[in-house]
Amino acid sequence: MSILIDETTRVVVQGITGNQGRFDTELSLAYGVNIVAGVTPGRGGETVSGVPVFDTVKRAVTETGANAAVLYVPATGVRDAVFEAVEAGCRVLLATTENMPRHDAAQAVAAARAKGAWLVGFNTNGIISPGKCKLGGIGGSDPDAVYPAGRIGVVSRSGGMSAEIAWALKRAGLGVSTAVSMGGDRTTGRSMVEYLALFEADPETDAMIIYGEPGTENEAEVARAVAEGSIRKPVVAMVAGAFQEEYPAGVSFGHVAAMIVGEADTATAKRRLLASAGVEVAASLDEAARMVARATGSIPN
Amino acid sequence: MKLSEDVAKRLLRSRGLPAPEGATADDPDTAAALAERMGGAAVLKALVLAGRRGKQGLVRVARSPNEARSAAAAMLATEFGGAAVSRLYVEPVVEIADELYLSFAFGDRAPRMVLSRHGGVEIEATFESEPEAVRVVEIDPLRGVKPWDAVEEWRRAGVEGRPLAALGALTARLYDAFVALDATMLELNPVALDRAGKPSLVGVMMEIDDFALDRQGLRSPLGAPVAGNPREAAVETANRSYPGGDSRYSELDGDIGLLVAGGGAGLLQHDLIRSMGGRPANHSDVSPAPGTEKLEAVFDAIFTNPRSRSLLVGYNYLQMARCDFVARALKLSVERNRIDARAFPIVLRLVGPAEAEARAIVAGIPGAEYLPSDASLEDGCRAIVAATERARLAREAAE
Repeated sequence: MSILIDETTRVVVQGITGNQGRFDTELSLAYGVNIVAGVTPGRGGETVSGVPVFDTVKRAVTETGANAAVLYVPATGVRDAVFEAVEAGCRVLLATTENMPRHDAAQAVAAARAKGAWLVGFNTNGIISPGKCKLGGIGGSDPDAVYPAGRIGVVSRSGGMSAEIAWALKRAGLGVSTAVSMGGDRTTGRSMVEYLALFEADPETDAMIIYGEPGTENEAEVARAVAEGSIRKPVVAMVAGAFQEEYPAGVSFGHVAAMIVGEADTATAKRRLLASAGVEVAASLDEAARMVARATGSIPN
Repeated sequence: MKLSEDVAKRLLRSRGLPAPEGATADDPDTAAALAERMGGAAVLKALVLAGRRGKQGLVRVARSPNEARSAAAAMLATEFGGAAVSRLYVEPVVEIADELYLSFAFGDRAPRMVLSRHGGVEIEATFESEPEAVRVVEIDPLRGVKPWDAVEEWRRAGVEGRPLAALGALTARLYDAFVALDATMLELNPVALDRAGKPSLVGVMMEIDDFALDRQGLRSPLGAPVAGNPREAAVETANRSYPGGDSRYSELDGDIGLLVAGGGAGLLQHDLIRSMGGRPANHSDVSPAPGTEKLEAVFDAIFTNPRSRSLLVGYNYLQMARCDFVARALKLSVERNRIDARAFPIVLRLVGPAEAEARAIVAGIPGAEYLPSDASLEDGCRAIVAATERARLAREAAE
């Protein structure tokens, strides 16, 4: 098994006639992804790499049974594209766009959550369940080079670090059940701990690696879930960006934001919080891979 | 983008919200004339993008045009945050019988409203001394803030009686403005109540989403001072001049130049270099762009930074971008800046598509060390720290 996407996932690509839409669609088809439809208003009836294009997501879903949407849409169009895909019944959405207007992001996330849909992003390069399915550019032209199938779940705030982690696992003789770049923006469709809960329930995932950064409450929520025992599988964490604490603050937060964001915001505070909850915290990729190998019994203590 | 108070108040007034109607003055006589027109008395506020102006003498009440003139003269002679105060906002004096606090900002997922029974003071101070007077409310962005929600919250913060009706309606309309203006922060401190309980937005701070400036018809003022450091400014200029994702470059006090890409991998490499005893001369990040200009701008900045003694090109495993693209930009900048990589070490940890082509290009930069395909991010950091140290020892030996 895997989380969120697998062999049964039927993908509709919103914005399939744009450059990035076309490019990623070709790479995904080459990986064997079941892309059943594309959507660009006004281009219905065309095809892209053999994939039929529709004018609306609703039409695409009705005609093809698509259940997951990948959005290659400019920042100011993403909110409505999310609304459209959610209304049409897509259960998993991937929004690659970065630099979304904040209000749009908040509204899109709220709309997806209200319908129980799972929005991956914003600012993600994708999610991959190796050998089964992938959404987005993750893995590029050769996903097997860094994403061999296995039993480790990866949740990363950075698409690049998702690849580095999977590659480090590969060097340690391990593979990935599902790896997700959850989105690097402050507002994301789902939080890190929600992904871990899916991995916790997945019988084919033995342990998880998370990659976090300064800002947001994602890592604090993970620490709480592990401490409370709702996440029992081994979790190894990397949190980068401690160097920022050594320099005078370049960005001054408004004092309201500072008050409501809380103090657990720095990489060092997050590492400490995770460690005290029982999460193994690694300083480097190789160390993270070793910790996972040990926790899953792949190498002796 | 932070708005100055005159602009913020004008935007609120144009939506029918009760912000005092003032005007700007950049000399004492204009301030006096404005006070005259407002009936003699006026409030003068320095137009600087900062809070807590009261404590710095940057908000003054004048009882007559003459007082307005001398107050303006004093304020315009002030420096604030390294810059001279050059403009004042002059507005009528508002009757203040009571003061409240209200703000809207963003949490991780949704907007949040903070309101407090006490305005005119810093919200943190109230939160510390009287937390029950402060309400922090998460807002459902699909529903917004309704007047009756706001009435309930103001009640809980300790406001009673007549003012609640007007406050509830005002709060809901302010939230609508916060959304419609694409604000990321809107702080009303204080919200003043007159003796009849009528509210007035006396203190306004607002920040507009940088990623929504276009659709708001706003522009970052062109010609506004970019970064004071000429190399940081050059990278910003390249960002404005060419299409695609932006590059970021900020200088630090070390000697290892960093061109690290993929936000996350950049943070990790910076941490690792410091833990290995190295000191970066800058931090950077680059995003995909159709041309190499923005990438070259970062290379140029690193090569012309007098503190830089070496360069790490540390990319995360590339999935969509091409390695040869990076190598080509590097070679152009090395040649333009006449860098000798035998004295100024260059280490590349660059793997992924078109790697062979990239290796062929870098082979034309004598001394550049392109790490093997199986090198990790840590290997790249170790290599640059060691090479920088070797170069330092060689320089010392030569002196």
